[in-house]
Amino acid sequence: MAEVRFDAMLRQFAVPSRASVGASDVRALLDELEAKFPRLKFRIRDETGSVRRFVRVFVNGEAIDRLHGLETPLGADDRVDILHSIQGG
Amino acid sequence: MSADGKVHVYVGTRKGGYVVESDRRRRKWSVVGPFHDGMDVFHMAPDPRRPGDAYALVNGVFFGPTVYRSTNHGHTWSEVATPLIPPKSKRPPLDGAPDPARFPIANLWHLEPGPASEPNTLFLGVDPASLYRSDDRAKSWTPMDGLNQHESREKWNPGAGGMCLHTILLDPTNPRKMYVGISAAGTFKSEDGGEHWKPANRGVRVSFLPDPTPEFGQCVHHVVMDPKNSSTFYRQDHDGVYVSHDEMESWRHVGGSLKSDFGFVAAAPTAMPGSAFFVPLMGMARTTWEGGLQVYRWDDKPKKWSRTVNPKKFPGQFGTHREGMAADALDPAGIYLGTTTGQLFVSPDAGKSWLLVPHQFPAIHSVSVESPPSRA
Repeated sequence: MAEVRFDAMLRQFAVPSRASVGASDVRALLDELEAKFPRLKFRIRDETGSVRRFVRVFVNGEAIDRLHGLETPLGADDRVDILHSIQGG
Repeated sequence: MSADGKVHVYVGTRKGGYVVESDRRRRKWSVVGPFHDGMDVFHMAPDPRRPGDAYALVNGVFFGPTVYRSTNHGHTWSEVATPLIPPKSKRPPLDGAPDPARFPIANLWHLEPGPASEPNTLFLGVDPASLYRSDDRAKSWTPMDGLNQHESREKWNPGAGGMCLHTILLDPTNPRKMYVGISAAGTFKSEDGGEHWKPANRGVRVSFLPDPTPEFGQCVHHVVMDPKNSSTFYRQDHDGVYVSHDEMESWRHVGGSLKSDFGFVAAAPTAMPGSAFFVPLMGMARTTWEGGLQVYRWDDKPKKWSRTVNPKKFPGQFGTHREGMAADALDPAGIYLGTTTGQLFVSPDAGKSWLLVPHQFPAIHSVSVESPPSRA
């Protein structure tokens, strides 16, 4: 099971700081998270299924847009961080 | 109408929403908020059918847009359903019409409570320009595809704020007559409750297209309906101020005598049929001219403009967003103007005098008003 860590801003959607999820890739992991924590739906991904512009998903410290995007494969020992970008002012 | 006898002014800002309250004299104000702290609140809409109810359109930069409802004049808020473009499997066949779902919803722009005869109905305008309807007070939303898949859609273009559906007007004498404004597609009219729509821009000129009088494509900034005559509309476009007296079948340019009639806002107070207020701006700067606040009044009879405030009274350069001005339903009318630099100006006497609410807001996107009942 991959270990998922959420940043503090995501916790407003009733998620814990960490969760363990079994999934073969990032898309399946996000599907699983949205099923487990319904208030996450449409917050990490928009209604077209794309990761929102100012949300970033990392696998073992690497942003998924530098890997294989939502198709980035996951193994049992992988760590996934879901963070928000630096933005604002 | 307000149930507690107060005037409630809902102020949507770049960094949250506020409620500004006063008694009906409208001289002293208290500020409640911010709510949705740090989030863009594009519009807050009181529901006159349920005094105390209001909706807030919150556009979060990180996690997307969300609709909230309050049942206590905006003092507390709960999340309700947010319309989302439905998955492709649930959309009707396109039959050659353009697919409206190429983008996710970027921002929620305007919520309009439905007619009194349909107390649970709401209408919502979003970017990318689309209209939604709820018949259960925002528990669920249905896209109105007669407009969203309009045959002209492929030729609509975004303005600087995105391709937003920002104005929704309902004819109080005929709930099947509806009007919307889209930047930059212009105004559209439906006479069958939103099933079918036609462009309604005849006479409105544009400076940014090869054809100066297109059927659609105008950059309409805001439109208001006359409070007593639902055939009459007052319209602030990118290219000037226009009036229609025939249900938007045609428009007449009335702003030509102003130094500039570029602007964003318009308001038509309930107690002042035949009149509307505008804030003309210098086109390039997007701020008031002559070094101070300016609010102009248009009177249909006689057809003339009058300045309601001396610019020396409030020196500075003020800008506005398209929903930055509103009027209440009292007599004399209260007029409320929020600026992009966070001032909230109030006229408690139909534009004869103006005061500044002593609170520095973030940049103000929108102002809307819940009025107390008129005295018998």
